[in-house]
Amino acid sequence: MGNSVIVRRLGLLAVLALCVVLLALVPYLPSYYVRVADSILIYIILAVGLNLVVGYAGLLDLGFIAFYAVGAYAYALLASGQFDIHLPFIVVLFIGAAAGAIAGVLLGFPVLKLRGDYLAIVTLSFGEIIRIAINNADELTNGPQGIAGLDRASLFGLPLTSPVHFYWLLLVLTVIVCAGVYYMERSILGKAWRALREDQDVVRGLGINTTTLKLLAFALSAAIGGAGGVIFGAFQRFVSPESFTFQESLLVVLIIIIGGVGNIVGVIAGAVVLVILPEILHFAAQYRLLIYGVVLVTVIVLRPGGLVSPRFNLGFIIRKVRTLWLSPSKT
Amino acid sequence: MALALENVSKHFGSLVAIRNLSLSFDVGSIYSIIGPNGAGKSTVVNMIAGSYSVTSGTIRLGATALNRLPKHRIAQLGVSRTYQNLRLFDGMTVLENLEVCFFPQSWLTFLTGAKRLSKAERLDICHACLAEFHLSDVADVLAGDLPYGRQKILELARAFVTQAPIVLLDEPAAGLNHTETKDMAAMIAGLKREDRAIILVEHDMDMVMSISDRIDVLNYGELLCSGTPDLVRTNERVQEAYLGTTEELDDIRKLAQSRRAQGGLRANAGIVRH
Ligand SMILES: Nc1ncnc2c1ncn2[C@@H]1O[C@H](COP(=O)(O)OP(=O)(O)OP(=O)(O)O)[C@@H](O)[C@H]1O
Ligand SMILES: [Mg+2]
Repeated sequence: MGNSVIVRRLGLLAVLALCVVLLALVPYLPSYYVRVADSILIYIILAVGLNLVVGYAGLLDLGFIAFYAVGAYAYALLASGQFDIHLPFIVVLFIGAAAGAIAGVLLGFPVLKLRGDYLAIVTLSFGEIIRIAINNADELTNGPQGIAGLDRASLFGLPLTSPVHFYWLLLVLTVIVCAGVYYMERSILGKAWRALREDQDVVRGLGINTTTLKLLAFALSAAIGGAGGVIFGAFQRFVSPESFTFQESLLVVLIIIIGGVGNIVGVIAGAVVLVILPEILHFAAQYRLLIYGVVLVTVIVLRPGGLVSPRFNLGFIIRKVRTLWLSPSKT
Repeated sequence: MALALENVSKHFGSLVAIRNLSLSFDVGSIYSIIGPNGAGKSTVVNMIAGSYSVTSGTIRLGATALNRLPKHRIAQLGVSRTYQNLRLFDGMTVLENLEVCFFPQSWLTFLTGAKRLSKAERLDICHACLAEFHLSDVADVLAGDLPYGRQKILELARAFVTQAPIVLLDEPAAGLNHTETKDMAAMIAGLKREDRAIILVEHDMDMVMSISDRIDVLNYGELLCSGTPDLVRTNERVQEAYLGTTEELDDIRKLAQSRRAQGGLRANAGIVRH
């Protein structure tokens, strides 16, 4: 083993250590920054989940936030004084994911025959229907007042109360979700989804039931949305229909489009940019939304494929790191 | 396994694309369907594959009536095909275009892994197939980046990789030059097997005459004549309807050349129709 190899490996380790240190330093920042970090992580999870449907299967879903609402209300109903049910956080996390998946399949069945614009419109309506239903189901959800005083969550005996606790939880979940989706992307299922995005008729001609394929994408993505919603509920300890407007669905879709459709690295970049941008723009007061809009349009015009090129994806990074680590001489 | 069309008709509104067609195909042979533009050749392929519903009549594979089944079920029963206009997954690699054919076909296989190929087995089959079709060197190239001729071959490979007993080829040589067409003909001839029926739709007469065991001639949706290449070649009605006058033959050649220029896109101009 030559000297250069050792240097290269040490360099790699240093970069890795730097990432870990940066992530580990976040909790020591003032609470405001930790909350922003939490927000970024939540949106990464949501966008990576929605990306299964939009980026891989090629179905534009504009009602994604409905699944997030389902998860949040699962926590609100099953871990609060509302019905005096107090299930542990981890149990509700799975229930929320399952409820999201079921809602996803329920939405999937009627809309799977639709394509393109029609699908977008129907999913958009679905998101609104869920929000309005929550708004009107007074006895169950307190309607527009929302449900307050949700249980303090804890996980394996560790309390989940401060933004710092949630930061760690969200960080772990983000890694799990990204790794899981990356694995799926590389599996034959991911390939079938990408093929579906390109030519659905040909995919059927290969003997693949495209309805199940799409339902699976909807269900998995909605499960991730539901799990995200449970965390959101436990974090805010208050839910109301206002948190689940169309704007939220749009933001998640925008994260994917701005970052790079079908690319986990792009989605992460998109979430970072779109969550931080409005925070930075606070100084601009009433011009904030205007600037926000101009920035978005500029990005779309200059980089229609998103900020991150499709080539620069997780697979690429992993391959690069591996060759840097393994190759005996300079590459 | 035999495939049979029994009194099949297909109407598009008032247009009768196929009228009372009965044909049967058995494994072990290469069948060609020929006829002028608009004769209904692609319509036959699309009906067998389930892309088009039949207006009346039955299509059977063995004892199973295909024409009530959804398209993916027909494919699962062993019917695979290529398309008149290339339809590859352009954004996926050559290898992935084949791999995706091995997606588990039912929930049960998907969840339990029963009868499901392992990743290594799947890759072995796909690599062997790539070697057979001389595509190994471009395994990791995006299908959309291949030159046209190799895209045509990749589509052929995709139709054969699952060892389907019924393979429908809709104009595999369209847009290919002379040498490529000869290679394609040799390749298809080499794919003939005891447990496989190849049904070929093709305009290139040299290819059709040299590799077919039987030729079915369609004209205006009806079967004009059916038999060995020698029989069809000498049939007067075929000469009249399909080959037309020498002037029209020149037109066909010109069209073929312009198609090549258009990258294989076919104009459905009714050159031979009146
Ligand atoms: N989807 C469709 N809708 C309406 N008419 C159609 C459709 N598909 C085919 N046709 C018509 O049916 C007739 C037969 O078409 P088909 O594509 O089967 O011809 P073909 O023999 O494959 O011709 P070509 O050599 O040009 O490929 C044509 O008149 C065509 O216009
Ligand atoms: Mg045709």
